[in-house]
Amino acid sequence: MSKRRLVFSKTGMAKYISHLDLLRCFTRSIMRAELPAVYSQGFNPHMKMTFSLPLSVGVTSSCECVDIEFERGVSDGEIMKRLNSALPPDIRIISVRDPNISANDIFGAEYRLTLLCGGAGENAPKAAGEFFALPEVKIIKRTKKKGEREVNLMDFVLGAEAPKVTDEGIELYITLSAGGQKNLKPEIAAEALIKYLTENADIRVTGYNIHRTKILCDINDPKIFK
Amino acid sequence: MRDYRTDYEDCLRRVQKPARYIGNEFGSVHKDKTDDMMSFAFCFPDVYEVGMSHLGMKILYHMLNEREDTVCERVFAPWDDMEKLMRERDIPLLSMESCAPVREFDIVGFTLQYEMSYSNVVNMLDLAGIPLRTRERGAGDPFVCCGGPCAYHAEPLAELVDFFILGEGEEVNGEIMDEYKKWCGSGKSRDDFLMSLVALGGIYVPKFYDVEFSDDNTIKRFEPNRPGVPKQVRKRIILDFDKCYAPEKLIVPFMETVHDRIMLELFRGCIRGCRFCQAGYIYRPVRERSVDRLCGIADGCIKNTGYEEMSLSSLSTSDYRELQELIDRLLGMTVDKRINLSLPSLRVDNFSMELMEKVQKVKKSGLTFAPEAGTQRLRDVINKNVIESDLIRTSRIAFGGGYNRIKLYFMLGLPTETYDDVKGIADLAKKVIDEGFFSIPPEERKGRSVSITVSTSFFVPKPFTPFQWEPQNLISEMEDKARFLKENIRSKKIVYNWHNSDISLLEAVFAKGDRRLSEVLITAHELGCKFDGWTDFFDYEKWLEAFRINNIDPAFYANRRIPYDEILPWDYADIGVPKSYLIKEHKRAYEEKTTPDCREKCGGCGAASFGGGVCFE
Ligand code: SF4
Repeated sequence: MSKRRLVFSKTGMAKYISHLDLLRCFTRSIMRAELPAVYSQGFNPHMKMTFSLPLSVGVTSSCECVDIEFERGVSDGEIMKRLNSALPPDIRIISVRDPNISANDIFGAEYRLTLLCGGAGENAPKAAGEFFALPEVKIIKRTKKKGEREVNLMDFVLGAEAPKVTDEGIELYITLSAGGQKNLKPEIAAEALIKYLTENADIRVTGYNIHRTKILCDINDPKIFK
Repeated sequence: MRDYRTDYEDCLRRVQKPARYIGNEFGSVHKDKTDDMMSFAFCFPDVYEVGMSHLGMKILYHMLNEREDTVCERVFAPWDDMEKLMRERDIPLLSMESCAPVREFDIVGFTLQYEMSYSNVVNMLDLAGIPLRTRERGAGDPFVCCGGPCAYHAEPLAELVDFFILGEGEEVNGEIMDEYKKWCGSGKSRDDFLMSLVALGGIYVPKFYDVEFSDDNTIKRFEPNRPGVPKQVRKRIILDFDKCYAPEKLIVPFMETVHDRIMLELFRGCIRGCRFCQAGYIYRPVRERSVDRLCGIADGCIKNTGYEEMSLSSLSTSDYRELQELIDRLLGMTVDKRINLSLPSLRVDNFSMELMEKVQKVKKSGLTFAPEAGTQRLRDVINKNVIESDLIRTSRIAFGGGYNRIKLYFMLGLPTETYDDVKGIADLAKKVIDEGFFSIPPEERKGRSVSITVSTSFFVPKPFTPFQWEPQNLISEMEDKARFLKENIRSKKIVYNWHNSDISLLEAVFAKGDRRLSEVLITAHELGCKFDGWTDFFDYEKWLEAFRINNIDPAFYANRRIPYDEILPWDYADIGVPKSYLIKEHKRAYEEKTTPDCREKCGGCGAASFGGGVCFE
């Protein structure tokens, strides 16, 4: 038996499928691909499958990871090829490898935010710079365990790049805390930023897209988790 | 043309279940439509998870898309939250695959599975921006058609629908596209196209018929209004069911749907002839698929879907002649792959425990039986061949085999029903426990305790059945009966549920109504009626208001006994079983005489005239 880590992208409309739907989608795709997945024991056996870091509904990604156990005798190349022909078009396997880093070491994730505001974004870089320099931005964070509480957004922001102005609007990369210890959903950061831009720089944002670009692990010696 | 994608996508962020609207599932078909291709919008008048559970839609979707000259895309009813956003932003009803406005399609087809979806048909037409009434449509508008079981008689939609497809669509849908291709660009009128469809057979065009009403609201005259239009339209069926198209590449939804599994259709029709059951009459004669063909289909579906469950879906699955062999072979294909096999409609009288054990190798679940009536007398009236002793014997085997939950389905308000029959339901459920469970010595009982769920629905008289002339009980009568039954169920082991009586009344009205109800439907839509099959939406008061505004008495349709010689709104439809046979069966019901099933002894219902199926076995 061997546990493989599959790095995959989730793009297009697939961003709207929930975690549970994604699990079901992978299970059925593995069945279609006729790959020898290992099942758990017990009353209700299921494929052994663990996603490294949940992704919010509505967010696309090019760096998702899932660990799946297979019986021996199937190569990584074979897994990738067969699974890609069995998955729906908006989910693609990018690589298959040994899971040498534990998902427990994940501490952050980088996101690309695209804020749509037509060509009216020229003030945005300055305003965004001001925003990320603020010592404190109060936000409401909801978790299952702790319920609703007010926290400082900046405690979760690990980095933010200066925005680029494009024809559609503005684009910027931010890095947020992620993982089991400390986690923030990117849409909360995006909405706080949009609110600031609207109130302080008179930028009207009509919509936004978020794309996860990297998952980061090993806080002492940061590297890309894959 | 405005591209709605960005706006539409933005709505998805704000709705409860965005996965309903995203499409792009594995198996969905995306074609680049070129100008010389025809387009068909396949509309299911309910939400995605209901529509995607429906086998008929999958068959016709894939079949049409196998044609190179046709694009078929799916359309579902947006849930309330989505509809609000779409209306706010001026987004019309869009197809799932290409986000194209439904009104741009050549043909817009609805499948009618239940009467309570009619208000959604109206709402979807409105949301699509298609003129609601056929007489308001012209060049540039699509043709609106309907198929499915309710389309055998859907006069209540006559003013809204250009043509109805009577019977099975597998052949005729392709023929319709062929005719459309010829018509398109020919410069001929819309009526010319419809006339070419009439010539195909199985197509009913309501505007080609004049209906005159008498002062007492009954139909005085129902006649074709132009040459070449037949007085009766005969349904289309596929005689050789083995050759009938069955898709093996099904769409596999992302979100969970109501029936989220492979559905294997063993046969069409039913040999039984229960007198209340419309499906049992309109799908005659029974036509089976061979075990080989079924295993071939199953194999393809397993490979192409990855589903973890397969169900054998037919009206009365255990009537399949080679069921044992089929199940053995299917188990051989599924057990290793951990695929569950489920049999949804077992009949009590030929229920075999051994069979059940086999099927449940993978998973054990509750059992469901439908005796439909509480006493033998009433079961004879409705021709439901369930015998009490069989039911009890079967329950004993099931309880002994470790099952501890049995569901029993009944109908209230059946013709000739008395309070003794109603009480019979309570007695029967109690006997199932007393004689089925407590007669097993305690040391042999597998489960500690058992529970029985009794569910009742109210009888809805349906066209094309021997009970089509029967009145439905008044709402007050229905409720009295349900209450009486509740009082008579005293065991804590029996749980009783019943269905809403207001909805049953509306079902009867729209099942048996005529074309004057088209305006009621439009009014009801204007008042906000939609999703009537969902209790959170169904608003009886609004419907009553719609009837009042149009000066129509729902009781005329639902609660009146119709004489045999009255012209019925659905007399135009020829399902292969003549009225004379239904009258004979109706009389036998009152004589409490049963009629044997097709295999025991042919009752001479007329369906043999199709020249195949069970009649020639
Ligand atoms: S003709 Fe006879 S065998 Fe054929 S469907 Fe009718 S009753 Fe059944």
